[in-house]
Parts: sequence; structure tokens; C-alpha cells
Amino acid sequence: MISGRFMLIEPTTLILIISLAIGLATGFVMHRSDYCVTGMFRDAIMFRTPSALRALCLQIAVTMILFELLRRAGALPFYPFPLIGKPSLANLVGGIVFGVGMVLAGGCVVGTLYKMGAGSITSLFALIGLIIGSGLYPEIHPGWAAFIKATTLADVVTLPQLLAINPGVMVAVVAVPAIVHFIRWRRQQAPADASVVTGYIEPWRAGLILALLSAISYILLGMPLGISTTYTKIAAIIENLFIPEHVSRVAYFKALPLNAFHRLLDTQLLGGAGPALDSIWDIQFPLILGITFGSTLSALMLGEFAIRCNIPGRQMLTALLGGAIMGLGSRLTPGCNIWHLMGGIPILAMQSLLFLVGLPIGTWIGGKILFRLLAAQTTCSVKQGA
Amino acid sequence: MTDRSKPKEILIDTRGQVCPSTLLVTLQHLNLQKNALRNGLVIIKIMTDHRHSTATIPNAVKNMGYDVLVTKQKGYYEILIGLPLPSQGLT
Repeated sequence: MISGRFMLIEPTTLILIISLAIGLATGFVMHRSDYCVTGMFRDAIMFRTPSALRALCLQIAVTMILFELLRRAGALPFYPFPLIGKPSLANLVGGIVFGVGMVLAGGCVVGTLYKMGAGSITSLFALIGLIIGSGLYPEIHPGWAAFIKATTLADVVTLPQLLAINPGVMVAVVAVPAIVHFIRWRRQQAPADASVVTGYIEPWRAGLILALLSAISYILLGMPLGISTTYTKIAAIIENLFIPEHVSRVAYFKALPLNAFHRLLDTQLLGGAGPALDSIWDIQFPLILGITFGSTLSALMLGEFAIRCNIPGRQMLTALLGGAIMGLGSRLTPGCNIWHLMGGIPILAMQSLLFLVGLPIGTWIGGKILFRLLAAQTTCSVKQGA
Repeated sequence: MTDRSKPKEILIDTRGQVCPSTLLVTLQHLNLQKNALRNGLVIIKIMTDHRHSTATIPNAVKNMGYDVLVTKQKGYYEILIGLPLPSQGLT
């Protein structure tokens, strides 16, 4: 048994170490590449420059194949993975709300972390907003749960399950043409000028590394990269310090949606969004720390770590508000863009596909609002010299 | 003939600001200063800490026919845009 080899270390400690290591690698690579998923969608939709988004498409296609090969080899502890549920209109609406929020915040739930790790104050405000928005959701959960129930579209999780076909066939049909298309596109591009950006990792290479990290996470932690439940948990922990009676009454904080036995780690994964330091905390919190400080490490090594406070106040408020909208969106969906795009879509989860339909709509709305806000304040940042 | 050796420098400092303010502010000033830029009266100097801006801005302004030069400074990147870029700008 593989689990026997790990017996020297307690499963929880092992989860914390693995999660932190994956987080550090993720943050480091994302900073080097400036792998901003928000920017990819925003630039493709608002500026019609989709080249960065192609890297994400490549990443998704490669992850798809990796997950399917691992599934066939029997290396995936769960299939589908825990916490991904049946599709409903909530996924679509959540995707729209999330898209608006991430554009206003200037980064998604993970982008916010790597940018903050490199010293961004606006991203710190976005993070505070994320925790506020994630903490607001439990208050409206009973009503939203009724909406989810009323609009559930299927009784299974993935598209191959719905169509009763072999996932391998669908993965091949989707992923192989996507990879071929990417290779052809890259060959047609003129060779780029050498970048002056030091330590640069081209986005497509970063995408491949992230696909690999996602697969490692799936095997060892039982699920692909995901962190958004922990934002609600952080809000619950803070609330619990001041209003414990209220926290104990909120139904959402009592639920334990993660309840699965991980054979490889020989442990029961059990957790929810409540203030307890459970398996969700063990899996996700080190990832949050890792992404942040992996980016700090990269920025320090390049001499690019800098905390700049001379930022228009309106931008900080926008980031705070955007973070709150994004946090709310990530609970309405539920799940963040990293969870759905880099984990759910690779197994063709219908929740994730619906989220992907909503995301560009939200991106467009958020882009319209943000551009108007930024255009109104440009004079603040310009100085004329001789 | 205008003295081209000392074009007026417009400094855009978006360090620390939310994405994509660097690109938006730059595009706005390219538009505002179009004639002065094309006559070599003005150059635009951008200070940014967004690594991705060092790719998106040159791509956008090269398509408009401007010269562009990106250099790494201490803790940030400097992007110069002009037509042509004066030699003293090429640090």
C-alpha cells in the first residue's frame, strides 16, 4: 500500500506540506508569467487580443488529457472530485457575478493573491473584499439553495455521464483539436522579440506547469486547485470572534460538503465553510499562503517586490467592491474560476461549463464599468515634464 | 522648425495601480497627444510594475506606427513611446 510509506508523517501534516508546496510553485510560476486569468478574459473581450487566453485553453486541454490518463490508470482518488455538484442555473448566474467582480478587482481569487504577494495594495483591498463577499453569502444561502434546487438541470455531474459515453472519447474530441490548433497558431506567429522582463516564463509554458500542478493536487489532495471555500471560512472565523451565537445559527456553516475517504493518504477528508479548522482548511489555506509567498519569493529574487501606496483612492474602493462581488459570485456558483477552468472543465463537469458561459458576460459588464471608472481618473497619474 | 532634441516628456506613473490602467491611460494619452507625438514634440514615458504591460503596450503602439522602447529600472519597467524616439531617451 502506498499509504503505508507515508505513515511516518501524520496525514494532516502531509496535506499541509503538499498543499503549501503546490501553492508556492503556483504563485512563483504565476508571478513569472503574469498568468492573470482575469486579464486573459478581459483583454480577449474588451481589446480583442485573445493570445494570452490561448495559453489557458492549452492548459485546460492538457489538463483534460492528464486527468483522463490518470483516471484510466486508477490514480485519481475520486471521480468526479468532491465538492463539484450537479449543474444548475446558479452556476451560470454565479459565473456572471464572478466575472464582474474579478474585472473590477483586477484579478481573480488566485490572481489577487499572486499580485498581493508581489506587493500590490489594490490586490490587498481586493482580498479584503473577497473575504467580505464570501462572508455575506451564508446569510442568503437558504434562499439561494432553493433557487439551485429549482433550477437543477441534471442528476449527474459530468457531460459524459449525462450522455452515457466514455469520457475518453469526449476528452479526445475536445482536447486533441485544441492542442493541434494551439501548435498551428504558435507556428504561424512571428518570433517574438526577446522580452526585457527578467525571469519571464511564457504563458503557454506556465499553463503546462499549472496543468501538472493541478494533476498532482488531484492525486495527492483529492481535488484540483481550489481555494474559495476558505475565504468564507476566514470570514466565519472572524465572525466567530465577535458574534459566535450568530455563526452557530447559520446553516451554511454547519454543512460538511466534503466527506470522502482518501485511500492514498489513508484519511477521511471532512470539512465545510464553518469556522472549524477541518480538511478544507488543511487543503486550501496552505495553498493561499503558498501562492502569495511563492509570488513574493519570485518578486524578491527579481528585485521587483514593491509596496506602493500612491494609488487613487477610487481604485482601492473599486478593488474592494470588485473583491466583494467576486467573493459573493464564488459562493453563488459555487467555486472560483481556477476551480472550474483548471479542474472542472477538464473532467467536463457541467457546473463548470455553465460557469464558463457566464464568465465572459460578467467580464464584459465589469470591463465596461471599470473602463469608465479608470477613464474618469487618468489625470491623477500623469505629470508633464520638460 | 521645432527643436526636436528636447521633446516634452509626458510621464505616466501607474505603478501599483489596478490592471489594465497602464494600457488604458497610455491609449488615452496617445489619442490626446497624437499630433504632438507624430511631430516629435512629445514623448510618453510610462512607469509600470505590471510585467504583462511590457508586452501589451509595445504590441498596441507598434501597430499604430510608434517607436517603443522597454527597459527594466530599479523595481519597475519603463516604456518610452515616440516618433522617433530621441537618442537621449535610449538609456
